[in-house]
Amino acid sequence: MSRRTTVRLGSFAAVAVALWFLPTLQGPIGFPIFYLLFGYTLLFWFAQASSWNMFTGYSGYFSFGQGAFFGVGVYTTGVLAAKRGWPLIAAIPVAGILAAALGLSLGFVVFRLRRLQGEIFALVTLAVAFVVAAIARVSSKIDGGSGIALNDVQLPDFLGTFPSMMFRLGLVIAVLTVFAAATIQHSRLGWGLFSINDDEAVAESLGVPTFRHKMMAFGMSAFFAGLSGAVHAIQISYITIEDVFSIRIPLFVIVMSVLGGMRHWMGPIVGATIIHTLTDRLNRASDLELFGGNVTVSLDHLNDIIIGLLLIVMVLAVKDGLWPRLVDRKWAAAGAFVVGILIARIWAPEMSPIGQFVAGELGAVAVLLPSSAVIDRWRSRGGPSETPDEPTSQPTVGATP
Amino acid sequence: MTLYGQAIISGVLAGGLYAMMSLGVSLSWGVLKIINLAYFSFILLAGYGSYELAANQGWDPFVTVLAVVPVFVIVGGLLQLFFEKVKIGEFESLLVTFGLLIMLESVARSIWSADFRRIPSTENPYASSSLRIGEFAFPTPQLSAFLTAIVIGLLMKYLLDRTYFGKAVRALAQDRDMARAFGVDHRRVAVLLSGLAAATAAIAGVFIAMSQALFPSLAVEWFGIVFPVVILGGLGSTLGALGAGVVIGVVAAIASVTWGPSYAPLATFVILIATLLFRPDGLFTRKASV
Repeated sequence: MSRRTTVRLGSFAAVAVALWFLPTLQGPIGFPIFYLLFGYTLLFWFAQASSWNMFTGYSGYFSFGQGAFFGVGVYTTGVLAAKRGWPLIAAIPVAGILAAALGLSLGFVVFRLRRLQGEIFALVTLAVAFVVAAIARVSSKIDGGSGIALNDVQLPDFLGTFPSMMFRLGLVIAVLTVFAAATIQHSRLGWGLFSINDDEAVAESLGVPTFRHKMMAFGMSAFFAGLSGAVHAIQISYITIEDVFSIRIPLFVIVMSVLGGMRHWMGPIVGATIIHTLTDRLNRASDLELFGGNVTVSLDHLNDIIIGLLLIVMVLAVKDGLWPRLVDRKWAAAGAFVVGILIARIWAPEMSPIGQFVAGELGAVAVLLPSSAVIDRWRSRGGPSETPDEPTSQPTVGATP
Repeated sequence: MTLYGQAIISGVLAGGLYAMMSLGVSLSWGVLKIINLAYFSFILLAGYGSYELAANQGWDPFVTVLAVVPVFVIVGGLLQLFFEKVKIGEFESLLVTFGLLIMLESVARSIWSADFRRIPSTENPYASSSLRIGEFAFPTPQLSAFLTAIVIGLLMKYLLDRTYFGKAVRALAQDRDMARAFGVDHRRVAVLLSGLAAATAAIAGVFIAMSQALFPSLAVEWFGIVFPVVILGGLGSTLGALGAGVVIGVVAAIASVTWGPSYAPLATFVILIATLLFRPDGLFTRKASV
């Protein structure tokens, strides 16, 4: 094991152990239990976004199939734990294996095509969730169309109360997934995937085993998505085909990873944090009443519009995502984060800590959004220019609106 | 036997509608190299537009085409102008239009809610009427959609094969840079083609509003039908889309009758996978051209 790997293993283990005891502190410190469930959902999105990104982000093959793997995980818990009485802990690994099997068989078909691999792959994965959903609906052994209640699943009691247990399960799976994503990125497999992303034909001719690399990464991606789905079934508690196989899971993992940046394992984490905290606040906010209550805008609908808009803006203007820029401008971002929190505290003192966090986050994002070309020009002149028409040496491609 | 005969008839008729829904995606992908998921929301919004005019303004459902289609020709053209402006690539287009699809679905949900919306039968006499030949029934909305699809398919075929515009489109599909070097105005052709594609999507939407209930998540559900049709028909092929629509429609109808409606998506997916394995360029293309 190289030194780097050891250091990475050590730091992930340290984070995992530290967070493991967070639920224990809940009693003595007395923070609301809500934070544990909030933390669980955040960890769930870490796992989902990272598992998606370890294949798509590195290889450039766009998968819309996350919903299918997640759904296989959810329904494995539903069938094994709720219908057949397995303990949850035993159902989770099976869920991962089944999801991986689905991913591998899908990859086996699609990765063999020579022409249009990438596009066809994207569209087949779009369709596959519907097919898995159709199978689940048809088979009465799986769902049969009526949904499954997960009230009396055998939960692992040794992990503590329900919120603590969820938090810890989510933590283990998220840490495993993120660790796998980070390890792949710095491994031979990762370099192979990046070379596929850059130019698959060249990679192939230089001896990169492209088919095997894609199969390995896609299989692992599906595996972790399935694990995470298996735990999430408990959180959903009553699973129906319409909810589980909706477009939400693929949509969110795509937006999170594109927002954070897809070529580094930290990207999905940054993206998931921003999107989850932001949508959580928007969901909880009451409906806006404009024009003296004549027009009511439901922020719930606004949520999807913001997500869609964010995706468009990021794809067109911030192609590499926020992570590389965060590395570049960490002090500016940290400063803006603090300023955002201060403004929130002064403007709305009763705002919850998560709300304040979102305010800081928005401040940091505002600093990160302008492209580096804009920043460089600003730096080289020592301030905003008075004469924008003057020819500059810096190209201004990709300037954000 | 009557059951299967009727299933085949309704499958063929549904195939016309599927072809119209897929034509826009297929042309845009094959010729303009833009995978435009926004067409799904165009179909949906055109359907809602037709619903509004028919249910609340008392228009004849067929007449609503006249109002709905021009709107979407303009929207489709403008969208393409935007794509030209930002110089979008194939993958980016997939993501950007996915974002657009989510936004438009959300807009539809806030205007018309998530409930089923159907044109009331007093305003829409066609939904329950049908042409009867012997023991077989040809429902009016599906039959007219099928005939319209054939007319549109043939018109498109004529346009692409016999006119200067069609020549320019085919040149762009084969080699974009070379076509440009020979003086093809890429932007004008692209905007026109995109407008036409959006028009077929809008017509499909009107027929859908005429024959079934609308709800916002329909747009996403159509993926399972349209992509098999597009792949099976071959990218950018008009008659291919028509033939593939009929194949998919018949297979789905027979699967529904034999095993139950829930099996229809499975059957179409099996066809999609088989096509990808054995005829990746589509059933109706002779060689690897557009």
